[in-house]
Amino acid sequence: MNCRQAHAQMYEYLDHENSMLRRLRVRWHLYRCPPCGKGFSFEHALHVRVRDGCHEELPEELSQRLRALLREEAGEQG
Amino acid sequence: MADRATFEADITPFASQLYSAALRMTRNPADAEDVLQEALLKAFRGYHTFEKGTNLKAWLYRILTNTFINKYRERSRRPAEVELGELEDLYLFKRLGGEEGAGGATRSAEEEALDSFVDDEIKAAVESLPENFRIPVLLADVEGFSYKEIAEIMDVPIGTVMSRLHRGRKALQRALWRFAEERGTRA
Repeated sequence: MNCRQAHAQMYEYLDHENSMLRRLRVRWHLYRCPPCGKGFSFEHALHVRVRDGCHEELPEELSQRLRALLREEAGEQG
Repeated sequence: MADRATFEADITPFASQLYSAALRMTRNPADAEDVLQEALLKAFRGYHTFEKGTNLKAWLYRILTNTFINKYRERSRRPAEVELGELEDLYLFKRLGGEEGAGGATRSAEEEALDSFVDDEIKAAVESLPENFRIPVLLADVEGFSYKEIAEIMDVPIGTVMSRLHRGRKALQRALWRFAEERGTRA
């Protein structure tokens, strides 16, 4: 596997969506090719940063409103 | 109709995540609240159709996504398909100074540079993506769904999910780089 082939499979590899055989081949390339290893590692770190950066807590007032809405829908007294 | 208390207990663990996704989809708190409210009512009314033991999170996201798409398309009438232009691999990595020197066991300077992005920039970059790319990026990178689950949630073929997700991620990097440039900070 060369760098171009490894990059073509990068997202499937990082998302754990490719087969075990393909994963091993990509991993072997990353082991032998530090620049690709660095690039893949960066992409992984970016996913983590995006996930963490997008997290929000449900505001308590909204949570209360949603609960009230469900009680009303269920025909319960507020 | 499902029991209200049971439904509430079952969905509570997903409430903040669903709200976060609704915010990224709609890009503002008022619309996010509307979408979340409507989605929860639909989920409650249809909860008897949910098969116990199957993926509740995916079921809820399917309802949320459909609610958003229906509401949003009605309102904005924007074309659903937008193209992103040419996108290169490792866009952000290269611009943050990547490809120099050998990789070590420690975090690279490029990875350290990711810490310079504040959450508001990450959110704005995600929200800058056109809807058909934003949803797969949200579902995969923020919510951790598999390609197959995303295909089911969005009701599109798995190949479409992959191409939109991969292109969306690259466009996201371009948006992030714009913020880095505006700040004038380079790794």
